[in-house]
Amino acid sequence: MQYKSIKKEEWDKTIEQLLLSYTIFASVENEYGLDYELIKPADITKISYNKPKPATPLKSFFLPVKENVTSERVNEKPRIILGIPNCDIEGLCLLDDIYLDDEFNDIFYRNRRKNTLLISSDCIGIQEHCHCLSYNIKPYSENHADLAIINLDGTIVLRVLSIKGEDFIKGVPAFLSQENIDFIPVIEKEHLSTMTLLEKANIGLPDYKKTGELIKNAGNNIWEKYSVRCVSCGACTTICPTCTCFLLIDQPGFEKVKQLDACQYPGFERVAGGEDALFELHNRFKNRYMCKYVWKPKKFNSLACTGCGRCIEACIGKISKNEIFMELIK
Amino acid sequence: MQVNGNIYNPIKARLIDVIEESPSIKTFVLVPENEFSFKTGQFIELSVDGIGEAPFTPSSSPLVTEKLEVTVMKTGYVTEYMHMLKPGVFMGIRGPYGRGYPIETFYGKEVLILGGGCGLAPIRSLLFALESIKNKLVKVILCYGSKTPADCIYKPLFDRLNNTEKFEAYRTVDNADEEWDGSVGVATTLLNKIKINIKNSIAVVCGPPVMMKFGTIRLLEMGYKDDQIYLSMEKNMSCGLGKCGHCMMGEFFVCKDGPVFTYNEIKHNPEIWK
Repeated sequence: MQYKSIKKEEWDKTIEQLLLSYTIFASVENEYGLDYELIKPADITKISYNKPKPATPLKSFFLPVKENVTSERVNEKPRIILGIPNCDIEGLCLLDDIYLDDEFNDIFYRNRRKNTLLISSDCIGIQEHCHCLSYNIKPYSENHADLAIINLDGTIVLRVLSIKGEDFIKGVPAFLSQENIDFIPVIEKEHLSTMTLLEKANIGLPDYKKTGELIKNAGNNIWEKYSVRCVSCGACTTICPTCTCFLLIDQPGFEKVKQLDACQYPGFERVAGGEDALFELHNRFKNRYMCKYVWKPKKFNSLACTGCGRCIEACIGKISKNEIFMELIK
Repeated sequence: MQVNGNIYNPIKARLIDVIEESPSIKTFVLVPENEFSFKTGQFIELSVDGIGEAPFTPSSSPLVTEKLEVTVMKTGYVTEYMHMLKPGVFMGIRGPYGRGYPIETFYGKEVLILGGGCGLAPIRSLLFALESIKNKLVKVILCYGSKTPADCIYKPLFDRLNNTEKFEAYRTVDNADEEWDGSVGVATTLLNKIKINIKNSIAVVCGPPVMMKFGTIRLLEMGYKDDQIYLSMEKNMSCGLGKCGHCMMGEFFVCKDGPVFTYNEIKHNPEIWK
């Protein structure tokens, strides 16, 4: 793995230069917390480093809430997304499996993926509901992103993780210098300290390999008990980095609009004849868990949960999936 | 079939004829503007411009490629609009999607088809396909039930099949009228009348969910094994591409992994009859 370092002031200047040819979104701390913002030159110094985790899941950059999927697109300016937590990077792998399959390749998704450079940010510290490690996902990227970034007291260190990342670095004059490996022990120490925090915060959560069996064997009483607090608002699926179900809406001229949908909404599986396998709320509630921990692993060999904890934060009924797992493991 | 590499783009098809099959069922005869073919049992997404689209399995022969027939029961928002359409307009087609009937595995066997209501639409396409390979089959038996004699679609089909070598076709109705002199009872009652070598047979079931359920149970009682029964599943297939999630049945996307499954493949899922 290549390491490149640069002083923060120089990095900021580099971003200013990059803004001429790229659209850059980066995580910025605002009055509501951390989230991605479209970066203008005046915002560069506001970019947040090392902190978990932007409110918006990464999927939103590749699968907009609503878009016309039959109209022609003009080529968009290449994009950089800076400050992606590794949980979201791993979630994107599942989206790739769904949208870039050999038979039905989604050109809108594909073009956005091609057009986007992913710069992952190492998490130093954790948020209240972070539990990536429980899903065998580390709080820093080792692959699947193009670059990984960490800010060490005014020095920006980048790890090169992909060919796309390497090509990008080659084109940036500020990185022409020799690679710098002096920072490796410092970075490793930071990684270890975040992992320790995660381990402590999530004592008692089941091993990710057991989640499927626990969910599959859960009695209906569990789903009925927890779904009492569910109002089918769909906040959990909207905020989830791996939930991407959608609806196609027809418009005049045989145009189609693809809109984010969710199995938590009533009528999601209703057929014209009236049958609806997910009519009852507790069945819809259960469906989300079955999909994430049983069916997606069967179909795509990957859990559809990254342990980002956003669904727990977003739930107005204060339903915590971790609480459910804790009860199931008893 | 993808237009300009975009999986969401439909191709246009001119509606050239509308055939009234029953008070609530019409067959739409379409001529696609682009080359279009399908395998029997696969489905398409058929759209009314600006209104919506819905999944249907074509009812015409897969061997005929210049036109396509789709039989539609008026039962929801999109199909109500479809029933108002007159010849001359364009409809949209996406597909064909999914896995159809593996008819090459039926060679040397007796094929039992159990159908109900509008389920005869995909079955008619299958019958056309089986007629074209009848030399390779032992025999084909169709058992079909409709609610009333008026609800029975493709009436000429039954006489034609009964005059075709190796084919037998039986009909029943749930509620007879004064003119009806045939069988009365649900579709599964016809299974008592037929002679079939179950060991060397496969069964196909297509119809409303309740008929599929009790049809499958009856076939199992008769001695059919789980992997000898083919079910054509009806779910809310929206994208047809294995992405939108609406038709998920356990780990399966019905649109991509189905819509035709053996009972063995899906029997563990409690949702299959819902």
